[in-house]
Amino acid sequence: MGLISEEDRKYLKEEFKNNLKREVKLLYFQQEESASEYSEQTKELLEELASLSNNLSLELESCDNAEKMKSEELTLCPSIKVKSERKGFVNFYGVPAGHEFISLVEAIKDMGSDNLSLPDEVIKDLKEIKERIDIKVFITHGCPYCPGAVRNAHQFSLANEKIKGSMVDANYFGELSMKHRVSSVPHIIINDRNGFMGNLPPSLFLDKVKEALK
Amino acid sequence: MDFSIQKKEKDSGRKHFAAAIIGSGPAGLTAAIYLGRSKVETVVFEKVIPGGYVVNVEKIENYPGFVEGIAGEQLGKLYAKHAEKFGAEIKCEEVTKLELNETPFRILTSLGSYTSDSIILATGTSNRKLGIPGEEEFTHKGISFCATCDAPFFEGENVIVVGAGNSGAQESLYLSRFAKHITIVELLEFPTAEPILIDRLNENERIDLLTSHSVTSFNGDKLLSSVDIKDIKSGEIKNIKVKGAFIYAGEVPNNDLVKDALKLDDKGFIVTDERLRTSIGGVFAAGDVRNTPLRQVATSVGDGAIAGHEAYRFLEERK
Repeated sequence: MGLISEEDRKYLKEEFKNNLKREVKLLYFQQEESASEYSEQTKELLEELASLSNNLSLELESCDNAEKMKSEELTLCPSIKVKSERKGFVNFYGVPAGHEFISLVEAIKDMGSDNLSLPDEVIKDLKEIKERIDIKVFITHGCPYCPGAVRNAHQFSLANEKIKGSMVDANYFGELSMKHRVSSVPHIIINDRNGFMGNLPPSLFLDKVKEALK
Repeated sequence: MDFSIQKKEKDSGRKHFAAAIIGSGPAGLTAAIYLGRSKVETVVFEKVIPGGYVVNVEKIENYPGFVEGIAGEQLGKLYAKHAEKFGAEIKCEEVTKLELNETPFRILTSLGSYTSDSIILATGTSNRKLGIPGEEEFTHKGISFCATCDAPFFEGENVIVVGAGNSGAQESLYLSRFAKHITIVELLEFPTAEPILIDRLNENERIDLLTSHSVTSFNGDKLLSSVDIKDIKSGEIKNIKVKGAFIYAGEVPNNDLVKDALKLDDKGFIVTDERLRTSIGGVFAAGDVRNTPLRQVATSVGDGAIAGHEAYRFLEERK
Protein backbone atom coordinates (compact mmCIF):
# COMPACT_ATOMS: atom_id res chain seq x y z
CA MET A 1 0.00 0.00 0.00
CA GLY A 2 1.20 3.50 -0.83
CA LEU A 3 1.27 6.61 1.31
CA ILE A 4 -2.13 7.70 -0.02
CA SER A 5 -5.01 5.38 0.84
CA GLU A 6 -7.04 3.76 -1.94
CA GLU A 7 -10.12 5.77 -0.93
CA ASP A 8 -8.18 9.05 -1.04
CA ARG A 9 -6.61 8.12 -4.40
CA LYS A 10 -10.04 7.62 -5.88
CA TYR A 11 -11.20 10.95 -4.50
CA LEU A 12 -8.10 12.81 -5.70
CA LYS A 13 -8.34 11.27 -9.18
CA GLU A 14 -11.83 12.70 -9.49
CA GLU A 15 -10.78 16.07 -8.06
CA PHE A 16 -7.87 16.35 -10.48
CA LYS A 17 -10.05 15.20 -13.38
CA ASN A 18 -12.57 17.95 -12.61
CA ASN A 19 -10.10 20.71 -11.80
CA LEU A 20 -6.93 20.29 -13.82
CA LYS A 21 -7.68 22.12 -17.04
CA ARG A 22 -4.00 22.51 -17.86
CA GLU A 23 -0.77 20.68 -17.11
CA VAL A 24 0.68 21.07 -13.65
CA LYS A 25 4.23 20.19 -12.70
CA LEU A 26 5.53 19.36 -9.24
CA LEU A 27 9.14 20.49 -9.21
CA TYR A 28 10.82 18.71 -6.32
CA PHE A 29 14.28 19.75 -5.20
CA GLN A 30 15.62 16.98 -3.01
CA GLN A 31 18.75 16.42 -1.01
CA GLU A 32 20.47 13.56 -2.77
CA GLU A 33 23.34 12.93 -0.40
CA SER A 34 21.31 12.72 2.78
CA ALA A 35 18.50 10.57 1.45
CA SER A 36 16.53 10.68 4.67
CA GLU A 37 13.20 9.03 5.31
CA TYR A 38 11.80 12.56 5.09
CA SER A 39 12.97 13.16 1.55
CA GLU A 40 12.28 9.60 0.39
CA GLN A 41 8.72 9.73 1.66
CA THR A 42 8.21 13.10 0.03
CA LYS A 43 9.40 11.69 -3.29
CA GLU A 44 7.14 8.68 -2.91
CA LEU A 45 4.18 10.92 -2.11
CA LEU A 46 4.77 13.11 -5.16
CA GLU A 47 5.14 10.09 -7.41
CA GLU A 48 1.84 8.76 -6.15
CA LEU A 49 0.15 12.11 -6.71
CA ALA A 50 1.59 12.48 -10.22
CA SER A 51 0.22 9.05 -11.12
CA LEU A 52 -3.33 10.23 -10.44
CA SER A 53 -3.71 12.54 -13.44
CA ASN A 54 -2.33 12.84 -16.94
CA ASN A 55 -2.22 16.57 -16.34
CA LEU A 56 0.10 16.21 -13.35
CA SER A 57 3.80 15.42 -13.59
CA LEU A 58 6.83 15.28 -11.33
CA GLU A 59 10.25 16.69 -12.09
CA LEU A 60 13.10 15.81 -9.76
CA GLU A 61 15.97 18.17 -9.19
CA SER A 62 18.88 18.18 -6.83
CA CYS A 63 19.41 20.76 -4.10
CA ASP A 64 22.98 20.86 -5.40
CA ASN A 65 21.76 22.47 -8.62
CA ALA A 66 22.26 26.00 -7.31
CA GLU A 67 21.67 27.57 -10.69
CA LYS A 68 18.29 25.95 -11.09
CA MET A 69 17.35 26.79 -7.50
CA LYS A 70 18.24 30.41 -8.21
CA SER A 71 16.30 30.53 -11.43
CA GLU A 72 13.27 29.21 -9.57
CA GLU A 73 13.87 31.84 -6.84
CA LEU A 74 14.09 29.15 -4.16
CA THR A 75 16.16 29.71 -1.05
CA LEU A 76 15.62 26.53 0.97
CA CYS A 77 15.79 22.84 0.20
CA PRO A 78 13.97 20.45 0.05
CA SER A 79 11.29 22.30 -1.79
CA ILE A 80 8.20 21.48 -3.85
CA LYS A 81 7.19 24.16 -6.31
CA VAL A 82 3.81 23.76 -7.97
CA LYS A 83 4.04 25.11 -11.49
CA SER A 84 1.89 25.58 -14.57
CA GLU A 85 1.30 28.17 -17.27
CA ARG A 86 -0.61 30.11 -14.65
CA LYS A 87 1.50 32.85 -13.09
CA GLY A 88 2.26 32.65 -9.39
CA PHE A 89 4.84 31.39 -6.92
CA VAL A 90 3.23 28.50 -5.07
CA ASN A 91 5.77 26.63 -3.05
CA PHE A 92 6.38 24.30 -0.11
CA TYR A 93 9.68 24.23 1.80
CA GLY A 94 9.69 20.80 3.40
CA VAL A 95 6.97 18.21 3.19
CA PRO A 96 3.28 19.10 3.34
CA ALA A 97 2.19 16.19 5.55
CA GLY A 98 -0.56 15.95 8.17
CA HIS A 99 -2.91 18.91 8.04
CA GLU A 100 -0.81 20.44 5.25
CA PHE A 101 -1.53 17.72 2.72
CA ILE A 102 -4.76 19.53 1.83
CA SER A 103 -2.69 22.67 1.07
CA LEU A 104 -0.70 20.75 -1.54
CA VAL A 105 -3.86 19.33 -3.13
CA GLU A 106 -5.49 22.78 -3.24
CA ALA A 107 -2.31 24.28 -4.71
CA ILE A 108 -2.30 21.68 -7.49
CA LYS A 109 -5.96 22.35 -8.25
CA ASP A 110 -5.39 26.12 -8.25
CA MET A 111 -2.44 25.90 -10.64
CA GLY A 112 -4.43 23.64 -12.92
CA SER A 113 -7.42 25.97 -13.04
CA ASP A 114 -8.26 29.67 -12.86
CA ASN A 115 -9.65 29.38 -9.35
CA LEU A 116 -9.13 32.33 -7.01
CA SER A 117 -11.04 32.02 -3.73
CA LEU A 118 -10.60 35.55 -2.47
CA PRO A 119 -13.11 38.35 -1.94
CA ASP A 120 -13.24 40.85 -4.82
CA GLU A 121 -11.99 43.76 -2.71
CA VAL A 122 -8.96 41.72 -1.59
CA ILE A 123 -8.13 40.79 -5.20
CA LYS A 124 -8.40 44.47 -6.16
CA ASP A 125 -6.06 45.51 -3.31
CA LEU A 126 -3.59 42.74 -4.14
CA LYS A 127 -3.43 43.74 -7.80
CA GLU A 128 -2.41 47.26 -6.79
CA ILE A 129 0.69 46.03 -4.95
CA LYS A 130 3.81 47.06 -6.87
CA GLU A 131 6.59 45.79 -4.62
CA ARG A 132 7.88 42.24 -4.34
CA ILE A 133 6.63 40.41 -1.27
CA ASP A 134 7.88 37.09 0.02
CA ILE A 135 5.40 35.37 2.36
CA LYS A 136 6.70 32.41 4.33
CA VAL A 137 4.16 30.56 6.47
CA PHE A 138 5.82 28.47 9.19
CA ILE A 139 3.73 25.43 10.07
CA THR A 140 3.80 22.15 11.94
CA HIS A 141 2.07 19.06 10.61
CA GLY A 142 -0.22 18.87 13.66
CA CYS A 143 -1.53 22.42 13.30
CA PRO A 144 -5.13 22.59 12.02
CA TYR A 145 -4.98 26.40 11.83
CA CYS A 146 -2.03 26.45 9.43
CA PRO A 147 -3.54 25.37 6.07
CA GLY A 148 -5.71 28.50 6.03
CA ALA A 149 -2.65 30.72 6.30
CA VAL A 150 -0.74 28.73 3.68
CA ARG A 151 -3.68 28.98 1.30
CA ASN A 152 -3.86 32.75 1.81
CA ALA A 153 -0.17 33.06 0.89
CA HIS A 154 -0.60 30.90 -2.22
CA GLN A 155 -3.79 32.62 -3.32
CA PHE A 156 -2.19 36.04 -2.87
CA SER A 157 0.57 34.94 -5.24
CA LEU A 158 -1.99 33.85 -7.82
CA ALA A 159 -3.65 37.26 -7.57
CA ASN A 160 -0.35 39.13 -8.01
CA GLU A 161 2.80 37.51 -9.33
CA LYS A 162 4.97 39.95 -7.40
CA ILE A 163 4.01 37.98 -4.30
CA LYS A 164 5.73 34.69 -3.42
CA GLY A 165 3.88 32.25 -1.17
CA SER A 166 5.68 29.42 0.62
CA MET A 167 4.87 26.96 3.36
CA VAL A 168 7.84 26.28 5.64
CA ASP A 169 8.02 23.15 7.81
CA ALA A 170 9.09 24.82 11.06
CA ASN A 171 10.49 21.64 12.60
CA TYR A 172 12.55 20.65 9.60
CA PHE A 173 13.95 24.15 9.17
CA GLY A 174 14.67 24.50 12.88
CA GLU A 175 17.46 27.03 12.59
CA LEU A 176 15.41 29.32 10.41
CA SER A 177 12.53 28.96 12.88
CA MET A 178 14.85 29.94 15.71
CA LYS A 179 16.16 32.89 13.72
CA HIS A 180 12.62 34.20 13.34
CA ARG A 181 11.73 33.17 16.94
CA VAL A 182 8.98 30.84 15.81
CA SER A 183 7.50 29.07 18.81
CA SER A 184 3.88 28.94 17.78
CA VAL A 185 2.22 28.37 14.42
CA PRO A 186 1.06 29.51 11.97
CA HIS A 187 3.79 32.16 12.08
CA ILE A 188 4.04 34.30 8.96
CA ILE A 189 7.26 36.05 7.99
CA ILE A 190 7.22 38.80 5.37
CA ASN A 191 10.36 39.47 3.28
CA ASP A 192 12.42 37.56 5.85
CA ARG A 193 11.93 40.37 8.36
CA ASN A 194 8.71 41.17 10.17
CA GLY A 195 5.94 38.79 10.87
CA PHE A 196 2.57 38.09 12.39
CA MET A 197 0.66 35.18 13.81
CA GLY A 198 -2.46 33.23 13.13
CA ASN A 199 -4.97 31.96 10.65
CA LEU A 200 -6.80 35.08 9.54
CA PRO A 201 -9.48 35.75 6.91
CA PRO A 202 -7.93 37.02 3.62
CA SER A 203 -8.76 40.70 4.21
CA LEU A 204 -7.15 40.74 7.68
CA PHE A 205 -4.24 38.63 6.40
CA LEU A 206 -3.62 41.27 3.73
CA ASP A 207 -3.78 44.08 6.32
CA LYS A 208 -1.15 42.26 8.39
CA VAL A 209 1.07 41.72 5.35
CA LYS A 210 0.93 45.44 4.57
CA GLU A 211 1.63 46.30 8.20
CA ALA A 212 4.66 44.00 8.22
CA LEU A 213 6.06 45.81 5.16
CA LYS A 214 6.24 49.14 7.00
CA MET B 1 3.96 10.98 8.13
CA ASP B 2 0.25 11.12 7.50
CA PHE B 3 -1.14 11.92 4.07
CA SER B 4 -4.89 11.56 4.45
CA ILE B 5 -7.30 14.13 3.17
CA GLN B 6 -10.45 15.86 4.29
CA LYS B 7 -12.74 15.25 1.34
CA LYS B 8 -14.94 18.07 0.20
CA GLU B 9 -18.10 17.87 -1.83
CA LYS B 10 -18.65 20.27 -4.71
CA ASP B 11 -19.76 23.81 -4.02
CA SER B 12 -23.39 24.12 -5.12
CA GLY B 13 -23.02 27.84 -5.73
CA ARG B 14 -26.21 28.44 -3.71
CA LYS B 15 -26.48 31.67 -1.75
CA HIS B 16 -29.66 30.87 0.16
CA PHE B 17 -30.21 27.92 2.48
CA ALA B 18 -33.07 26.76 4.67
CA ALA B 19 -30.63 26.12 7.54
CA ALA B 20 -27.19 27.56 8.22
CA ILE B 21 -24.96 26.12 10.91
CA ILE B 22 -22.09 28.22 12.23
CA GLY B 23 -19.33 25.92 13.44
CA SER B 24 -18.47 22.39 12.37
CA GLY B 25 -17.67 20.70 15.65
CA PRO B 26 -19.60 17.68 16.95
CA ALA B 27 -22.73 19.80 17.64
CA GLY B 28 -22.77 21.56 14.28
CA LEU B 29 -22.13 18.49 12.17
CA THR B 30 -24.62 16.35 14.09
CA ALA B 31 -27.24 19.04 13.48
CA ALA B 32 -26.25 18.93 9.79
CA ILE B 33 -26.80 15.15 9.70
CA TYR B 34 -30.29 15.48 11.19
CA LEU B 35 -31.23 18.36 8.90
CA GLY B 36 -29.80 16.59 5.87
CA ARG B 37 -31.87 13.48 6.61
CA SER B 38 -34.92 15.75 6.83
CA LYS B 39 -34.11 16.97 3.31
CA VAL B 40 -33.39 20.51 4.49
CA GLU B 41 -30.93 22.48 2.35
CA THR B 42 -28.16 22.99 4.88
CA VAL B 43 -24.85 24.82 4.90
CA VAL B 44 -22.16 24.58 7.58
CA PHE B 45 -19.58 27.35 7.94
CA GLU B 46 -16.18 26.56 9.45
CA LYS B 47 -13.28 28.95 9.92
CA VAL B 48 -10.53 26.38 10.54
CA ILE B 49 -11.15 22.82 9.37
CA PRO B 50 -14.20 20.57 9.64
CA GLY B 51 -14.39 18.96 13.06
CA GLY B 52 -13.95 22.14 15.07
CA TYR B 53 -11.88 22.14 18.25
CA VAL B 54 -12.11 18.36 18.47
CA VAL B 55 -9.39 18.02 15.82
CA ASN B 56 -6.91 19.38 18.40
CA VAL B 57 -7.57 16.47 20.75
CA GLU B 58 -5.07 13.69 20.30
CA LYS B 59 -7.40 10.95 21.52
CA ILE B 60 -10.98 10.95 22.76
CA GLU B 61 -11.55 8.07 25.14
CA ASN B 62 -15.02 8.75 26.55
CA TYR B 63 -17.10 8.87 23.40
CA PRO B 64 -19.24 5.73 23.30
CA GLY B 65 -18.55 3.14 20.65
CA PHE B 66 -14.83 3.77 20.34
CA VAL B 67 -13.54 1.37 22.95
CA GLU B 68 -9.86 2.12 22.29
CA GLY B 69 -10.52 5.82 21.80
CA ILE B 70 -10.40 7.76 18.57
CA ALA B 71 -8.15 10.58 17.37
CA GLY B 72 -10.02 13.87 17.37
CA GLU B 73 -8.85 14.57 13.83
CA GLN B 74 -10.26 11.25 12.65
CA LEU B 75 -13.57 11.82 14.42
CA GLY B 76 -13.85 15.28 12.85
CA LYS B 77 -13.34 13.79 9.39
CA LEU B 78 -15.99 11.15 10.03
CA TYR B 79 -18.50 13.74 11.20
CA ALA B 80 -17.88 15.84 8.08
CA LYS B 81 -18.19 12.83 5.79
CA HIS B 82 -21.40 11.79 7.53
CA ALA B 83 -22.94 15.29 7.22
CA GLU B 84 -21.98 15.55 3.55
CA LYS B 85 -23.43 12.10 2.85
CA PHE B 86 -26.85 13.51 3.74
CA GLY B 87 -26.40 16.60 1.60
CA ALA B 88 -24.98 19.25 3.92
CA GLU B 89 -22.58 21.67 2.26
CA ILE B 90 -19.49 22.54 4.32
CA LYS B 91 -17.85 25.85 3.53
CA CYS B 92 -14.46 26.75 4.97
CA GLU B 93 -15.31 30.41 5.36
CA GLU B 94 -15.21 32.46 8.53
CA VAL B 95 -18.51 34.06 9.42
CA THR B 96 -17.74 37.71 10.13
CA LYS B 97 -21.23 39.09 10.76
CA LEU B 98 -24.77 37.87 11.35
CA GLU B 99 -27.82 40.03 10.75
CA LEU B 100 -30.65 38.54 12.76
CA ASN B 101 -33.13 41.42 12.83
CA GLU B 102 -35.15 40.16 9.88
CA THR B 103 -35.69 36.95 7.95
CA PRO B 104 -34.17 35.48 5.97
CA PHE B 105 -31.17 35.96 8.25
CA ARG B 106 -28.08 37.41 6.55
CA ILE B 107 -24.66 35.80 6.94
CA LEU B 108 -21.50 37.62 5.91
CA THR B 109 -18.35 35.55 5.58
CA SER B 110 -14.70 36.01 4.73
CA LEU B 111 -15.55 35.12 1.12
CA GLY B 112 -19.10 36.31 0.51
CA SER B 113 -22.64 36.67 1.79
CA TYR B 114 -25.55 34.25 2.21
CA THR B 115 -29.07 34.14 3.57
CA SER B 116 -30.82 31.46 5.59
CA ASP B 117 -34.29 30.83 7.05
CA SER B 118 -32.86 29.38 10.26
CA ILE B 119 -29.54 29.39 12.05
CA ILE B 120 -27.86 27.03 14.47
CA LEU B 121 -24.98 28.53 16.44
CA ALA B 122 -22.38 25.90 17.27
CA THR B 123 -19.35 28.14 17.61
CA GLY B 124 -17.90 26.45 20.69
CA THR B 125 -15.49 28.05 23.13
CA SER B 126 -11.95 29.38 23.26
CA ASN B 127 -9.40 28.99 26.01
CA ARG B 128 -9.78 31.63 28.70
CA LYS B 129 -6.86 33.98 29.09
CA LEU B 130 -5.45 34.65 32.55
CA GLY B 131 -5.22 38.44 32.27
CA ILE B 132 -1.88 38.66 34.06
CA PRO B 133 1.32 40.60 33.30
CA GLY B 134 3.31 39.28 30.36
CA GLU B 135 0.46 37.20 28.91
CA GLU B 136 -0.21 39.42 25.89
CA GLU B 137 3.50 40.08 25.33
CA PHE B 138 4.52 36.43 25.26
CA THR B 139 1.46 34.91 23.58
CA HIS B 140 2.89 32.99 20.59
CA LYS B 141 6.36 33.76 21.96
CA GLY B 142 6.36 30.88 24.39
CA ILE B 143 2.72 30.95 25.47
CA SER B 144 0.51 28.66 23.44
CA PHE B 145 -3.04 27.39 23.50
CA CYS B 146 -2.50 24.44 21.13
CA ALA B 147 -0.25 21.57 22.19
CA THR B 148 -0.73 19.57 18.99
CA CYS B 149 0.43 22.64 17.03
CA ASP B 150 3.34 23.82 19.13
CA ALA B 151 4.62 20.96 21.29
CA PRO B 152 7.54 20.16 18.90
CA PHE B 153 9.05 23.60 19.61
CA PHE B 154 9.60 22.57 23.23
CA GLU B 155 11.51 19.34 22.68
CA GLY B 156 13.76 18.81 25.72
CA GLU B 157 12.61 22.02 27.43
CA ASN B 158 10.79 22.81 30.67
CA VAL B 159 7.21 23.97 30.26
CA ILE B 160 4.24 24.75 32.46
CA VAL B 161 0.61 23.92 31.87
CA VAL B 162 -1.92 26.17 33.55
CA GLY B 163 -5.01 24.29 34.67
CA ALA B 164 -5.50 20.68 35.77
CA GLY B 165 -8.89 20.04 34.22
CA ASN B 166 -9.42 17.47 31.48
CA SER B 167 -7.84 19.65 28.78
CA GLY B 168 -4.81 20.55 30.90
CA ALA B 169 -4.28 16.92 31.90
CA GLN B 170 -4.64 15.52 28.37
CA GLU B 171 -2.39 18.15 26.84
CA SER B 172 0.23 17.62 29.57
CA LEU B 173 0.33 13.93 28.75
CA TYR B 174 0.77 14.79 25.06
CA LEU B 175 3.47 17.37 25.85
CA SER B 176 5.39 14.85 27.96
CA ARG B 177 6.46 13.18 24.71
CA PHE B 178 8.39 16.32 23.81
CA ALA B 179 9.18 18.40 26.90
CA LYS B 180 11.82 17.49 29.47
CA HIS B 181 9.59 18.44 32.38
CA ILE B 182 6.07 19.75 32.81
CA THR B 183 4.75 21.59 35.83
CA ILE B 184 0.99 21.76 35.97
CA VAL B 185 -0.19 24.76 37.97
CA GLU B 186 -3.72 24.50 39.38
CA LEU B 187 -5.44 27.22 41.34
CA LEU B 188 -7.75 24.86 43.22
CA GLU B 189 -6.67 22.46 46.00
CA PHE B 190 -7.29 19.51 43.71
CA PRO B 191 -7.16 18.73 39.99
CA THR B 192 -10.56 18.67 38.30
CA ALA B 193 -9.60 16.21 35.52
CA GLU B 194 -11.22 12.78 35.41
CA PRO B 195 -9.62 10.42 37.97
CA ILE B 196 -8.30 8.16 35.18
CA LEU B 197 -6.33 11.12 33.78
CA ILE B 198 -5.07 12.10 37.23
CA ASP B 199 -3.70 8.56 37.65
CA ARG B 200 -1.81 8.94 34.38
CA LEU B 201 -0.40 12.30 35.45
CA ASN B 202 0.79 10.77 38.70
CA GLU B 203 2.43 7.88 36.87
CA ASN B 204 4.28 10.16 34.46
CA GLU B 205 7.79 10.96 35.71
CA ARG B 206 8.04 14.08 33.59
CA ILE B 207 4.95 15.71 35.09
CA ASP B 208 4.56 17.45 38.46
CA LEU B 209 1.26 18.81 39.68
CA LEU B 210 1.21 21.93 41.86
CA THR B 211 -2.22 22.56 43.34
CA SER B 212 -3.22 25.71 45.25
CA HIS B 213 -0.86 27.72 43.07
CA SER B 214 -1.48 30.45 40.52
CA VAL B 215 0.67 31.98 37.81
CA THR B 216 1.18 35.67 38.55
CA SER B 217 3.36 36.75 35.63
CA PHE B 218 5.07 35.62 32.46
CA ASN B 219 8.62 36.92 32.09
CA GLY B 220 11.32 37.08 29.45
CA ASP B 221 13.10 39.26 26.97
CA LYS B 222 11.89 38.59 23.42
CA LEU B 223 10.71 35.08 24.24
CA LEU B 224 9.25 33.60 27.41
CA SER B 225 11.97 32.48 29.82
CA SER B 226 10.25 32.13 33.20
CA VAL B 227 6.99 32.38 35.12
CA ASP B 228 6.23 33.58 38.62
CA ILE B 229 3.93 31.31 40.55
CA LYS B 230 2.27 32.00 43.87
CA ASP B 231 1.45 29.56 46.64
CA ILE B 232 -2.13 30.50 47.45
CA LYS B 233 -1.84 29.26 51.04
CA SER B 234 1.49 30.77 52.07
CA GLY B 235 1.59 33.70 49.66
CA GLU B 236 5.16 32.75 48.68
CA ILE B 237 6.13 33.58 45.10
CA LYS B 238 8.59 31.39 43.21
CA ASN B 239 10.19 31.88 39.83
CA ILE B 240 10.34 28.87 37.50
CA LYS B 241 12.50 28.81 34.37
CA VAL B 242 10.40 27.63 31.42
CA LYS B 243 10.52 28.04 27.66
CA GLY B 244 6.85 27.27 27.12
CA ALA B 245 3.48 27.77 28.80
CA PHE B 246 0.23 26.16 27.71
CA ILE B 247 -2.95 27.67 29.12
CA TYR B 248 -6.05 25.54 29.76
CA ALA B 249 -7.68 27.52 32.56
CA GLY B 250 -11.30 27.36 31.54
CA GLU B 251 -13.26 28.46 28.53
CA VAL B 252 -14.98 31.52 27.18
CA PRO B 253 -17.86 31.24 24.69
CA ASN B 254 -17.26 32.24 21.09
CA ASN B 255 -20.22 34.62 21.15
CA ASP B 256 -18.84 37.62 19.23
CA LEU B 257 -21.33 37.22 16.39
CA VAL B 258 -24.39 37.35 18.62
CA LYS B 259 -23.43 38.99 21.90
CA ASP B 260 -25.52 42.07 21.16
CA ALA B 261 -28.41 40.18 19.66
CA LEU B 262 -29.13 37.17 21.85
CA LYS B 263 -29.78 36.62 25.54
CA LEU B 264 -26.59 35.45 27.26
CA ASP B 265 -25.92 34.26 30.80
CA ASP B 266 -23.56 36.11 33.16
CA LYS B 267 -20.55 34.31 31.67
CA GLY B 268 -21.55 35.05 28.09
CA PHE B 269 -22.92 31.63 27.15
CA ILE B 270 -26.04 31.66 24.95
CA VAL B 271 -29.22 31.04 26.91
CA THR B 272 -31.49 28.39 25.40
CA ASP B 273 -34.58 26.49 26.46
CA GLU B 274 -34.72 22.69 26.48
CA ARG B 275 -35.43 22.73 22.74
CA LEU B 276 -32.26 24.79 22.25
CA ARG B 277 -34.20 27.82 21.06
CA THR B 278 -32.52 31.16 21.72
CA SER B 279 -34.17 34.52 22.36
CA ILE B 280 -34.74 34.97 18.59
CA GLY B 281 -37.17 32.67 16.77
CA GLY B 282 -35.43 30.50 14.18
CA VAL B 283 -32.04 30.86 15.86
CA PHE B 284 -30.84 27.88 17.86
CA ALA B 285 -27.65 27.20 19.84
CA ALA B 286 -25.95 23.86 20.41
CA GLY B 287 -22.84 22.51 22.08
CA ASP B 288 -20.26 24.31 24.17
CA VAL B 289 -21.35 27.86 23.27
CA ARG B 290 -24.66 27.53 25.17
CA ASN B 291 -25.33 27.41 28.89
CA THR B 292 -24.89 23.72 29.61
CA PRO B 293 -23.59 21.89 32.68
CA LEU B 294 -21.15 19.66 30.79
CA ARG B 295 -19.01 20.35 27.70
CA GLN B 296 -18.02 17.07 26.08
CA VAL B 297 -18.17 15.54 22.60
CA ALA B 298 -21.04 13.30 23.75
CA THR B 299 -23.14 16.19 25.07
CA SER B 300 -22.44 18.27 21.96
CA VAL B 301 -23.64 15.44 19.74
CA GLY B 302 -26.87 15.28 21.78
CA ASP B 303 -27.29 19.04 21.43
CA GLY B 304 -26.70 18.83 17.69
CA ALA B 305 -29.44 16.23 17.31
CA ILE B 306 -31.95 18.36 19.25
CA ALA B 307 -31.02 21.59 17.44
CA GLY B 308 -31.21 19.92 14.03
CA HIS B 309 -34.60 18.42 14.82
CA GLU B 310 -35.94 21.68 16.25
CA ALA B 311 -34.70 23.73 13.30
CA TYR B 312 -36.52 21.30 11.01
CA ARG B 313 -39.72 21.66 13.08
CA PHE B 314 -39.40 25.43 12.94
CA LEU B 315 -39.04 25.38 9.17
CA GLU B 316 -42.01 23.00 8.77
CA GLU B 317 -44.26 25.15 10.96
CA ARG B 318 -43.51 28.20 8.84
CA LYS B 319 -44.70 26.53 5.66
